[in-house]
Amino acid sequence: MGVTCVSQMPVAEGKSVQQTVELLTRKLEMLGAEKQGTFCVDCETYHTAASTLGSQGQAGKLMYVMHNSEYPLSCFALFENGPCLVADTNFDVLMVKLKGFFQSAKASKIETRGTRYQYCDFLVKVGTVTMGPSARGISVEVEYGPCVVASDCWSLLLEFLQSFLGSHTPGAPAVFGSRHDAVYSPADTMVQYMELFNKIRKQQQDGVIDEARNSSSRLK
Amino acid sequence: MSGVRAVRISIESACEKQVQEVGLDGTETYLQPLSMSQNLARLAQRIDFSQGSGSEEEEAAGAEGDAQDWAGAGSSADQDDEEGLVKFQPSLWPWDSVRNNLRSALTEMCVLYDVLSIVRDKKFMTLDPVSQDALPPKQNPQTLQLISKKKSLAGAAQILLKGAERLTKSVTENQENKLQRDFNSELLRLRQHWKLRKVGDKILGDLSYRSAGSLFPHHGTFEVIKNTDIDLDKKIPEDYCPLDVQIPSDLEGSAYIRVSIQKQAPDIGDLGTVNLFKRPLPKSKPGSPHWQTKLEAAQNVLLCKEIFAQLSREAVQIKSQIPHIVVKNQIISQPFPSLQLSISLCHSSNDKKSPKSTTEKQSPEDHLYVLEHNLHLLIREFHKQTLSSIMMPHPASAPFGHKRMRLSGPQAFDKNEINSIQSSEGLLEKIIKQAKHIFLRSRTAATIDSLASRIEDPQIQAHWSNINDVYESSVKVLITSQGYEQICKSIQLQLNIGVEQIRVVHRDGRVITLSHEGQELQDFLLSQMSQHQVHAVQQLAKVMGWQVLSFSNHVGLGPVESIGNASAITVASPNGDYAISVRNGPESGSKIMVQFPRNQCKDLPKSDVLQDSKWNHLRGPFKEVQWNKMEGRNFVYKMELLMSALSPCLL
Repeated sequence: MGVTCVSQMPVAEGKSVQQTVELLTRKLEMLGAEKQGTFCVDCETYHTAASTLGSQGQAGKLMYVMHNSEYPLSCFALFENGPCLVADTNFDVLMVKLKGFFQSAKASKIETRGTRYQYCDFLVKVGTVTMGPSARGISVEVEYGPCVVASDCWSLLLEFLQSFLGSHTPGAPAVFGSRHDAVYSPADTMVQYMELFNKIRKQQQDGVIDEARNSSSRLK
Repeated sequence: MSGVRAVRISIESACEKQVQEVGLDGTETYLQPLSMSQNLARLAQRIDFSQGSGSEEEEAAGAEGDAQDWAGAGSSADQDDEEGLVKFQPSLWPWDSVRNNLRSALTEMCVLYDVLSIVRDKKFMTLDPVSQDALPPKQNPQTLQLISKKKSLAGAAQILLKGAERLTKSVTENQENKLQRDFNSELLRLRQHWKLRKVGDKILGDLSYRSAGSLFPHHGTFEVIKNTDIDLDKKIPEDYCPLDVQIPSDLEGSAYIRVSIQKQAPDIGDLGTVNLFKRPLPKSKPGSPHWQTKLEAAQNVLLCKEIFAQLSREAVQIKSQIPHIVVKNQIISQPFPSLQLSISLCHSSNDKKSPKSTTEKQSPEDHLYVLEHNLHLLIREFHKQTLSSIMMPHPASAPFGHKRMRLSGPQAFDKNEINSIQSSEGLLEKIIKQAKHIFLRSRTAATIDSLASRIEDPQIQAHWSNINDVYESSVKVLITSQGYEQICKSIQLQLNIGVEQIRVVHRDGRVITLSHEGQELQDFLLSQMSQHQVHAVQQLAKVMGWQVLSFSNHVGLGPVESIGNASAITVASPNGDYAISVRNGPESGSKIMVQFPRNQCKDLPKSDVLQDSKWNHLRGPFKEVQWNKMEGRNFVYKMELLMSALSPCLL
């Protein structure tokens, strides 16, 4: 388990998501990375049921239940700014039993699937983010195995990202900022993924709203 | 009597009415005094008309009773009744009889007092004991004791005899019972060894390993039946047992797992031939009942079946480079290319007719008992694992499995860590590894032994380590020359024989890995032996005072050796006159040349280049030594003789 950085690769101009992914993977293969199978990270959203909200009328909290094929026997549950729970796969069964308290949000399942590349100490995963049948974006995850403290290896990671992402290199993830010198854990990776998925969802929603606005303006 | 003071006697009459009973609250019920007619009846009953008017006691008793009546009644009517009585004297006062008695008692007492006082003086009267012809006083207590002791002993003896009688009776009963061997006592004995339970009216037992952790689906139940085919008229046979066990039909007979390694390639026609040969049944403990041997044999058959089922399941599931062949009761795999390992389950029933047992293609010595034993151990280890505390769930709600596997979820283990926890090796893989190691080890030993017997100079010694692993053994190989072990000990090899490779660690620090090919080890040892000769010359030169001019382990000159490289050394004598040059190769053997000073060679071409005669003292041409004609037991001895021959003595 090493320090991981999850970022989004914007779709290249005039190209589809798949083509961009292909570009990236080709770059990686030229670099010398070897393909090592596939990966999948998925996320389901639940919100607290209305019956348990109480008289104050507080807003229902959103809970995300995520799985990562890198940790096949684990299940992650996290709140937006809150704690992240790492449990084994029986947690999914538990969620079924807790149907009364947590209700699944409609059409909320979002996942990213792709190939896994190993380049010496780096593990690179390039995946297509899909919501339902449509692809919404590209996720890039880079893990540097030997190091577990974020502050020690961020510069190395950044350099590596620059080598194949070029101008789309992201900044330091938010999780690094809060706990710079603490040992990095898989839960931090899942937090990063959750943020990525939320960003993509918002982009998509904004895109829909923009389209609706445009279409309505056109109609007018 | 006159000086005695008068004694006052007070007399009180008892209460008028007698108490009949006292009630619970303390009230007393009195007897009603008799009425006149009742009294009369009572008195009349007491008259003894046959007797005369004699005894005063009767009168006294009667007077006492009348005294009461007097007090109570006091009428003249009574008087008339009382006159009828002969003894009664109405003129006397009621206490007269009492007074008379007392007076007579007083008289008696006075007489007694007088007698005693006279006797005390001993003047006129003495007390004399009554003479008895009794026993002598001394013997008296002893015989009494004797008699009493005799009696008590007799009593104790009686009790003991009674007890002894009872015991002998019970012992004889037991013996009779033993002979008859009651069904229940036999059942008790059976229960001490095997688990039994009662189902309906049948008694069933369990001979499977399920309670020890096995997961084999065989039921393993046997039935206990009463042996009733006994003829009571005839004599009971020696080995009669009232209990018999019925084992499942597929567990009858005896079985064992036969593991053998053959060198030849498997013949397709040979596959599946059941190579049974009836191994003699292991001797059961003398005195153990026949059902014990039967049940133990059946349990062994069950265990062998389980081992074979596990092996065949793994043989089919696990992917390996060379697939394993599973045919009927045989599993064939190829650990090494030219080697065949066959594991077969040999189950022979107890029937007299066994047609296939005569055709044995493999000899019984082929069977590797060690591996069979190891298979048994491995399956028992597997049983224990399923019951171990690592597997048992703590907390009770967690799923079954290794403790660390349960933690892999909450601690987000990735694939590498998960793989490291799971023991990926199955029974078949383990046994194949062990077989490989056994084969490598035996072949190494054979190689070393053949070399040792074939080559006398130099000598090769092998010291095998006592402590081995199932997957690793080690041997230390020393190459020495006889007689020069202390000088020439530079070739010492430590061989670590693993599963597939042999790792050789040289004394000078080199580590060489040899594969499973047998020829590699032999070639290597031969090359080491040739190097040893040259090393020996080097060491010998040090001892003899000769100077080493050049030394090379791998010379690049001369004919090319097919095994290893030739080595060469050149040494010069202490005074520099002579030099010996040795070249030794594994195949080409040894070649020894001696360099003489120029003035000793006769056939040198004269030339004008050398003007001075001093140049004639330098060493010149080489001459080969006919080594096989040299005196000496071995190479180093010959070399020593040569060296000593070439160094002039100073005498």
